[in-house]
Order: sequence, then structure tokens, then C-alpha cells
Amino acid sequence: MTAVIDKGKCNGCELCALYCPLDVIHMEDGIAVIKYPDECWHCGACRQECAHDAVTFEFSPAMLAI
Amino acid sequence: MAAIFGSEIHRVKADVVVIGGGTAGLNTALAAAEMGADVLVVDKAHIQRSGAIAGGIDHFFAYLETGEPWDTRDAYLAYVSKVARGAANIKIHEKVFCDELVPAMERTERMGVSLHQPDGKILRTQALGQPGPYAINFDGKLLKPKMAFQIAKKHIRTINRVQVSNLFLHNGELAGLAGYDIRNGDFYEIQAKAVVISTGNTNRMFKSQTGNPFNLWYCPANTGDLHRAAFDAGVELANVEYVRMTIVPKGFSAPGFNAFFGMGGKFVNGLGQPFMNDYHPMGDKAPRNMMVWGALQEVRAGRGPIYVDVRHLSAKELAHLFSQLGIDKDTLPEFLKAKGYDREGALIEMSVSEPMQARPSELCGSGIKIDETCASNIPGIFAAGDASDQMGCLHMCMAGGYAAGKHAARYAAKVARLRPLKANELENERRRVFLPLMRNAGAAPGEFENIVRMITTDHFGPYKSEVSLTSAIAKLDALDRYRDELKANNLHELMRCHEAMNIHSVAKIVAHAALARKESRFIPYHYRSDYPETNEDWCGLVAVRKDGETSVATRFERLPYAA
Repeated sequence: MTAVIDKGKCNGCELCALYCPLDVIHMEDGIAVIKYPDECWHCGACRQECAHDAVTFEFSPAMLAI
Repeated sequence: MAAIFGSEIHRVKADVVVIGGGTAGLNTALAAAEMGADVLVVDKAHIQRSGAIAGGIDHFFAYLETGEPWDTRDAYLAYVSKVARGAANIKIHEKVFCDELVPAMERTERMGVSLHQPDGKILRTQALGQPGPYAINFDGKLLKPKMAFQIAKKHIRTINRVQVSNLFLHNGELAGLAGYDIRNGDFYEIQAKAVVISTGNTNRMFKSQTGNPFNLWYCPANTGDLHRAAFDAGVELANVEYVRMTIVPKGFSAPGFNAFFGMGGKFVNGLGQPFMNDYHPMGDKAPRNMMVWGALQEVRAGRGPIYVDVRHLSAKELAHLFSQLGIDKDTLPEFLKAKGYDREGALIEMSVSEPMQARPSELCGSGIKIDETCASNIPGIFAAGDASDQMGCLHMCMAGGYAAGKHAARYAAKVARLRPLKANELENERRRVFLPLMRNAGAAPGEFENIVRMITTDHFGPYKSEVSLTSAIAKLDALDRYRDELKANNLHELMRCHEAMNIHSVAKIVAHAALARKESRFIPYHYRSDYPETNEDWCGLVAVRKDGETSVATRFERLPYAA
């Protein structure tokens, strides 16, 4: 379960990494990276803060299948 | 690596330090600043998006004095007395909620978040045992960022990404606190005349439905950090024996209960039969604990799974329900869509959520025991919001958070000077905090946390008895040796180590409190199989306090209610 960042759309503004309540997103080489995907709460804060539509969400097989 | 972390020490002073910048904490900070106090907010995440409503919120409970018999202060208090009987202190409720309600609603609107619908009307729905529709439905998607904007506008100092690790006293009164920056490893030594603890509840304490401990109804960053630190400082906790649960979509522990059942959803079992009337006279509008109780009984009787039936709703009603769900949990509508529920005639499969250490009702809290001034038993330590034993939910965090800020500022104004922090205590704390980074080997925090969750879930998640609780305490105590060997490879893992240790410590406190309450109340939140009935003799608070280095002392405080 996690947020997914489109590297092509991310402009490195850092807002998602700055605000993520679970410290899941970090900056690497000027691009936001989901460093701890298993710790995503799916709150959607990163997507709401992103001005470039770079964030989407994927639901884990367990979430969808059980 | 370890030699670098903690070498940079920041020494900070403030009149009032607010620990936890969620809804309650930011309202606390605004109030204390307006009273003229020098305020500092410390948050483990970032106040823009921290706490329970990071991604949004969609309802605010209130009575509005519209002339309806159920819509008065007295009727509301009668509701609190009924639904939160034995947990809510009505005198405190009046002070921290009723007296603060109108200004809290006005403040919400002034921040730029309207409690009205686009057509200017107020839309209210009824659930959770309410005698009338107390839940104002509104678009609180941006409430948290708007609150954070007010903090910046008033130039209130904020330190983000700092996990507070402990509180320090001087002659039995608050002197300050310590913490570290989870991003750069800097250490903070903060002197304060007063602190307000507003760090929510303890989540990640029980197994979750998918096995991922971050797939939770409430914010997984809330790990009882300050419940543990306050307890160690001698602060009394109350209402912590309750294990809170709700009804969530199968696979995704997201909020939405209030919208699902407030907007006409019907709770049915696997046979397609409504069942809540068998468990409570209010049926699907019963208090939350009874909805959970009903669901557990149906599943246990072999009549699962459980569903929310929305087939009778019009397309317009269904669209409104889905959009409302997306306000409360940003990603829930697309999850429901991915599950194939965006079609006519769908039954939405639900589940009982993971348990958590939290309030037994929307009308009280679970944690630091407060009085009418939001003060704990230790001078200088206050609490607000879910972290306190008397507040919870958005309405009380907006209203009561503000009350706590006023009281803490008043208290700080009377304290002539900052009390001293002891150098040796701070040095010991700095060593303790960074120790997991210095170990060459040891258990990973996630592995340790998983063991805690297996014990708690088996022994009191939620059903419990003297045998199960005594056994849980013995097993949790035996875990101490693994706790003392936790290893972190970086600062993020260091934070997770401290969270795991705090969850473990709070789990022990919860078990001790549950052992003391020899009755059942708010079933299944406190269901003792050896004392299955609710007993009026236990209508009140079990207060827990640290007794010596390893022991827990409990006492009972009766709560009076109007007949």
C-alpha cells in the first residue's frame, strides 16, 4: 500500500517530503522518493500538496483481495 | 554515525510548549499566544499535515440551540451522560466543550473553513446514539493547513520533525522536556513554564486487518509517546483500559462510519439481514461500541461477512455519500472504486477495525487525566484533545484545545521564572535517545512491535479476563530485554524504535488499568469475560499512576450524573 510518485512529473518542490505525516517521503537527487512504502497511511496529504499531479495511490493486493 | 547524531544541541525556552500540533494542539497554541504567552509548538511530523485530520475531516458535532428539544445544551449533556456514562466528567465537559463551542465554530469559519454547505445551509446527520442530528457535515479538507496558516500568521514558533522523548521536573513541578530531530539528529533541551500534551492516542498497538500496522483508522504516527513520558513523570492517566474499535471497509481501515450510517447506509449481515435492532433499540444509529459489538456477535455466530447496504439510496444520495467519504479520507473513494463498489446495487463489505488505545466514546478521551482547567496532577503539565482523558473528536479538540491554551497561559503567567533542567538528566537522556543507533546488532523495531501486537491482540484485543491480562503483563514485562536491545540503522528507524518502546510501555499500562476495572463497560471496548455485566459501582474513572520504578498503582474515582 502506498503513494506513488511519477518521477517525470515531480519538480522537486519538496512539499510532500516536508509534510508527510509518517516521514515516508524523502528527497533523493532532487526528486521525491517513497522511501518507506509500507508505512504509508494513505492520508492523501502529499497528493493534495502536489501542484504537478505527480502523486497517485496504489492499494496493496491484501487491501483489495481480502 | 552515532557520534555525529546528538552532538548539535539546541537550548530553547518558552512559556508554554505545546507537544503535538494536531487539531487540539494548534488551537491550544492559538489561545495561549492570544493570552500573551511565548508559545512553542513541537511536532513529530509537520503541523501543516500532522495528526488525525492530516488528509481531511467531514463532521463536527454540535448542538445549535435551534429550538428543537434535542438541540440544547442540557439535551446534549443528557446525551453525553447516557452515551459516555462512567467515562465523561460532565463538569469538565461543560467547561472544555460547552463553554467553548460557539467560539470554536466561529474560529473554524474565520480560518476559512465553512461549516455550511455551498447553498449556505447547515447539513446535519444523526448516528452514534444521538437523540437528533448533531453531526454537521462540512468540507474540512483544508482545515489542518488553514490552522497551520494561523500559527504562521501569528508568528508562533514551531519546531517540526522533533520527537519529544521525555519530560523533566524540578521539585515536583514541570521544568522542561527533551527531544531530537528525526531528520538531522539534533538534540533539543527545552525549558518551559507549562506544557500542553496533545499527541493523540496510541495506535499500532493491536493487529490490523491486513497485517500492515500502518493501515489504520487513526493516525499511525500517534504511538503514545507522551502517554509514556507523562506516566514516567508521575502524571496520572484515566480511561486507558478501553480498547476502541469501529466499523471500516474491508481491507482499508479508513474513517467513514459517520457518513456511511448517518447518510442512510444499512448495516446487514451475510444473509442480507439488518441486525442492529437485536443489539440496541436505536439500530444502525446506536453508539459506536454497540455497532462493533453487534458486528462481532454476527460474525461469531457464523452470519458474516458484514456489509453496508446502500442499494436503496438514489444515485444523487450515493454520489453525496462517496464525496463525503473522500473528505474524511482522501483516498477512500478510489479504494471503493477499485473494489468495484461504484455500481448500482453494490453491497460494501465492512469489517471490525483494529483495536486501539483510545476513548470509549466520542464524548470523552483516554489518556492524561485532566481537571476543569485541563491540568494534570503535576503542576505545569496540561493535556488537550485525544491525549487527555476527557476530550476527543474534532469538536472537542477545536473547543477544548483552546480552553487548554488559555489555562496553560494563565498558569505560566503566574510562574515567576523557568525552573532549572539538570545537566546530568539531560546527558543521560541524550545517551538513551541515541543508543539504538550505537548498537552493532539487535532487534528491528518493527519486529519488536509485532510481538507486542501479538500479545495485546491475543490477551485484550478486545476480550479480556484476569487470567488473560495477568498473562499479558507477564509477557510484556518479559519483552523488556528485547526492548533494551533495539537497533536502528538511521534516524527514521530511531523514531520507530522509540515509538515501538512507547507502544510497549502503554500496552502494559492499559493492561494494568483493565485488570483494575472488575466489570464490563462500553462493550466490547472493555469486556471482561469474568465480569461480563456493567456494574453501577464502577461508574467512574480508573486512574493509573506509576508506583516506584516498575509498578502501576490504580485508584477509582466515581463520576456523578444527574438522575
